[in-house]
Amino acid sequence: MRLGGPQVAGTTYHGESIAGTVVFTGARSHRGYRINKLAMSLTDPANRDAFRADERAYMAKFGLSEAEMDLVARRDWNGLVDAGGSIYVLLKIAATVGQNLLQIGAQMRGETLEHFMATRPGKQGTAVERKG
Amino acid sequence: MARIVGGIGCSHAPSIAHSYDKKLQKDPMWAPLYDGWAPAKEWLTQLKPDLMVVVYNDHMNRFFFDAYPSFALGAADKYPQADEGWGPRDFPDFPGHAAFSWHLAQSLVEDEFDPTICQEMSVDHGILSILPLLTETHWPAPIVPIAANVIQHPIPTPRRFFRLGEAIRRAIESYPEDMRVLVVSTGGMSHQLHGPRFGFLNPQWDNEFMDRLESDPISLTKLTHAHYMERGGAESVEIVMWLAMRGALGEKVRRVHRHYYAPMLTGYGLVAFEGVNSSDAR
Repeated sequence: MRLGGPQVAGTTYHGESIAGTVVFTGARSHRGYRINKLAMSLTDPANRDAFRADERAYMAKFGLSEAEMDLVARRDWNGLVDAGGSIYVLLKIAATVGQNLLQIGAQMRGETLEHFMATRPGKQGTAVERKG
Repeated sequence: MARIVGGIGCSHAPSIAHSYDKKLQKDPMWAPLYDGWAPAKEWLTQLKPDLMVVVYNDHMNRFFFDAYPSFALGAADKYPQADEGWGPRDFPDFPGHAAFSWHLAQSLVEDEFDPTICQEMSVDHGILSILPLLTETHWPAPIVPIAANVIQHPIPTPRRFFRLGEAIRRAIESYPEDMRVLVVSTGGMSHQLHGPRFGFLNPQWDNEFMDRLESDPISLTKLTHAHYMERGGAESVEIVMWLAMRGALGEKVRRVHRHYYAPMLTGYGLVAFEGVNSSDAR
């Protein structure tokens, strides 16, 4: 007998595909663990310095495969997401190498930063504001 | 007896922190946000809560996937800010209220919520990006942070967040000291941060969410995470945290303020409510 309230079937994510979207599931977190752990280490300023001094040597300590290290070396953000990276931790790699969210976003869309920025409502004069 | 005197649901975003630190309050891109939130700041200044319970999520700053809590409750007398990778911002630590936190822990567990209890807990932009816009003082009241997993699926259901709010209310109302408590939930509205759908915005959905949060929150607890991600973008699923604040406020609320602005990567939304339930009329 199950205790507690009735389960709401399918409330959590069950792998339905969403166009243009990679949902960060347990399977992805498992697959990308080393990449994410490397990225997480960069919240420490000393580690950021060590990474910048010799990226490959630093990454090797976290057990990344050659292919995974190549993704980081190429700043291939879509590739890193496909390899199980969480965008929230990948941002720490971006921060360490001097890139921001807008730059990596434009790259993931396959656009220049200038082109991407031009699509934004605030730049087009179409920003939606609703008061009250 | 402690009681809830109000609730705020609002977006959090690194971009908000950036605009504040770069002093862009009057910038044409940012002025609508700062002007739009000013009435909530004025309300909060008058309200003078003694404590703020804040439901938010950590963005891989305090917690990592080596051991990722579904819910983590701060039980400390102070909460420093986390270095998110760009270095710390110029703010003092947040004061905490360990005694209240332990009461909340006791009450939540008896209510069958079992958070990871953290006696050391740094907090990130989930809290720090928004509070400077809502107060002149740093900080106006102690905080009790509750960090939720909205990043690594499976994440708690929308209904679970609503029920967490109801449990927070029971904890507040069983605290023996007179204390006026504000319940805050932060979480981004429509946005997606990865892939070809990066930059996705859906102001229509964001506003529908705020309508339903006010008048029919139960309907929002019945939606799936997939539904939230379809309509708002994958990372916008964190909006479910707003349901905790709404659950805490009780069946009926009076809206104090509401604002929405979507210029760039996400919808910046804010609602401020006061409860209008019989137990609030004290």
